[in-house]
Amino acid sequence: MATQSPPSPSSTAGNPPTLAAETSQQATGVQQDGPPEAAEQPISSPSVFVNSEPMREEQVQNAVKFLSHPKVRGSPVIYRRSFLEKKGLTKEEIDEAFRRVPDPPPSAQATSANQVGQVKSSSSNIQSQAPTQALQPQPAGAAPTAVSPVSTTMMSRFHWYHAVLAVGLLAASGAGTAVFFKKSLIPRLKSWIRKVVLEEEDDSENKSIAKPSLAEEAAAAAKAAAAAASDVAKASQELLNSKNEERRYFSELMNLLDVQLQEMKSMSNSIRKLEGPSNNSGRTSLVNQEDHRDSVTGVKQPYANGKADFDMQSVRSSSPPAPGEPSVAPHPKSYMEIMAMVQRGEKPPNIRDINDLPPNPNQQLPNPRLAPKAKPWEVGQAQNASGQVIQSQVSAEGLNFKVQDNGLNHQSDDDSSVPWWQRKNVKITEVGEDEIKAGPYSVRTNEPPVQRTWVPPQPPPVVMPEAAEAIRRPKPSGPTEQSTSHQLASQTSEVTDELQRITKISEAGGIEEIKGNGSVQNSSEIQEEQETHA
Amino acid sequence: MPVFKTPFNGYSVKFSPFYESRLAVATAQNFGILGNGRVHVLDLSPAAPALTELVAFDTADGVYDLAWSESHDSLLIAAVADGSVKIYDTALPPTANPIRSLHEHTREVHSADYNPTRRDSFITSSWDDTVKLWTVDRPTSVRTFKEHAYCVYNATWNPRHSDVFCSASGDCTLRIWDVREMGSTMIIPAHEFEILACDWNKYDDCLIASASVDKSIKIWDVRNYRVPIAVLNGHGYAVRKVKFSPHKRNLLASCSYDMTVCLWDFMVEDALVGRYDHHTEFAVGVDMSVLVEGLLASTGWDELVYVWQQGMDPRAV
Repeated sequence: MATQSPPSPSSTAGNPPTLAAETSQQATGVQQDGPPEAAEQPISSPSVFVNSEPMREEQVQNAVKFLSHPKVRGSPVIYRRSFLEKKGLTKEEIDEAFRRVPDPPPSAQATSANQVGQVKSSSSNIQSQAPTQALQPQPAGAAPTAVSPVSTTMMSRFHWYHAVLAVGLLAASGAGTAVFFKKSLIPRLKSWIRKVVLEEEDDSENKSIAKPSLAEEAAAAAKAAAAAASDVAKASQELLNSKNEERRYFSELMNLLDVQLQEMKSMSNSIRKLEGPSNNSGRTSLVNQEDHRDSVTGVKQPYANGKADFDMQSVRSSSPPAPGEPSVAPHPKSYMEIMAMVQRGEKPPNIRDINDLPPNPNQQLPNPRLAPKAKPWEVGQAQNASGQVIQSQVSAEGLNFKVQDNGLNHQSDDDSSVPWWQRKNVKITEVGEDEIKAGPYSVRTNEPPVQRTWVPPQPPPVVMPEAAEAIRRPKPSGPTEQSTSHQLASQTSEVTDELQRITKISEAGGIEEIKGNGSVQNSSEIQEEQETHA
Repeated sequence: MPVFKTPFNGYSVKFSPFYESRLAVATAQNFGILGNGRVHVLDLSPAAPALTELVAFDTADGVYDLAWSESHDSLLIAAVADGSVKIYDTALPPTANPIRSLHEHTREVHSADYNPTRRDSFITSSWDDTVKLWTVDRPTSVRTFKEHAYCVYNATWNPRHSDVFCSASGDCTLRIWDVREMGSTMIIPAHEFEILACDWNKYDDCLIASASVDKSIKIWDVRNYRVPIAVLNGHGYAVRKVKFSPHKRNLLASCSYDMTVCLWDFMVEDALVGRYDHHTEFAVGVDMSVLVEGLLASTGWDELVYVWQQGMDPRAV
């Protein structure tokens, strides 16, 4: 591991030296057995698993503004970091933002709202380290709740503001409707009542003065009834109108509400965008994030000025898109019952008291009986050799066994039939690109390790002409991703049965021969084969 | 295709890297809410499709995940809900087991993964927001990685780089770590919702698959991690587990709360290449055998373990 010169705190991103320098400032509680490793480049070539992008100044400034907000100041550091990480900032950018924002402990003196100052001094870093470490146990302790603490605090804040807003608006709307009623409806009611009363009086007057006939009386009564009915109709019509107006009024109120919400959102956006803190008591970006989480997919937070940090538009996506908001899967009924039971504090009945501690804590680890097998994807890799455990003859023989095994045959007891799980279906043989059936040959063989070659088992002394013919069958044309030896593999899989017979014979016939040169003729044939294909 | 009925709800199934016919199942009573747990070691009988139990180990609390050792053919690591990590020797009877119980996590241990290249260490991830590195011979953890802001649901080793691993967390980020470094080396804000599983591509060591509560699986290239290479949609509910094929570069398997196990080819436009709906409850564990190409196993809350060849019906007799 090459060591580097002492790193400067504001070096460019992506280098392990920077990481090591920042780790002293980081609020992570990484524990180690020995002393922390010095800054170094662990491999000669830069690792792919490190973010090597340069720091984006824009992101850092946005983060600084976010961190300078008083509401954010009050939240634990781990949640601030988590929020910035979710926004797509790299570690270096987050650390730089933390460095730029003086981060006094929340219980200490008043915070100065300078976000732009480049505070590089180590004193501020130490300051930030101490309170953040003090904050660490808090979130760690608070974390084990079913709901994320972030969301609860955000939800509570959200609800508080929302509640105040809702109450205010409701009061306003109540007052408005009261006024409305007073002004319009009641006078209408009064006039209607007056009309009816007047008409009644008129009717009675008419009846008392004149002596109408029955028919006239009836006609008058009918007229009155009609008038009353029309009045009722009118009144109900007016009521309906008033209701419509009410509805309109309320919808206007709803629009107002939405507008208010939008204003609040834009307010909080402007917190980040504009200089100086916003006047309104807008919700923090954390709250916006909560909104974000609750809302339907695709709603991008314009945090980084509209730039999509992680683009939901993917290169490839499968057909019916059912992405996005998680719907809670219906849990089985007994699950809900048990949850209810547990929440009530009852213990489900069927639990036993089990002592699962080790009976002998100093129990010796067993000796490995088998050598580790190479993974299919490790074929031809140099790493493969280091992983092999070369042990006694027994295990080496076991190794050989595995070579011939090659996933073709079950080695233990049943030699007569193919295990049911080995039956290859057509699908697999068709798509023969990546088929790599390999044994760990790098240990014992002195053959040149061909890239991704399936090494067929050494043929037995008794040559089976059909099988040899099958092996030498010409490979099909057509491009494959890997080398042509894959097609050899696909070919050989088609003659699985014959090869299995070969392997059986070779197993029975003696492992010594296989380890040695065996039948020179056939091995040379196969080597020729490989050479042509390689 | 053989089926095995476990007494408790299944949580994880893993094929042995040494024996083709062997697999282990982690189960937890009462859906893992509260209750005992049990680890079953099963064997596939070669003649008839059947699963027989070789040995079973009881635990006081539910077992959420298992990992077979890559160095010792009989050792099995169990991630237990009471925060302990237990090591079992399947060659010894249950009365002599477990041989180790490592209790350092302060909350449920949700996953365990054994290093396939160095073969000497394993990592466990827990709801206490940390990932811990262990070796089998040490009584205490070698390292603790604490950066996530919420439960770490899964941590998996890179199949080629022996010091690199990836973790998936409820804080909606994937983190890539190098055990030689102090902190994480890369942070990928992969989803808008909790990420329940991650796995590396075995043939391209820069590709990671992440499975999330948002029902999607995303494939990421660490060299260009701002945009996923592919987004696989098709599951009806949260995707619980994802596993890249050890034999095919583009193939991966996933299981989900929609009770199905799906196979995907992420390089193809219509990525879903297979769907198995044999489970009648949440499908929670899935594995693809390293030794036998195309062999799949799955388990779920319906207390059943299925083993089948790709392309066949798991419920076929």
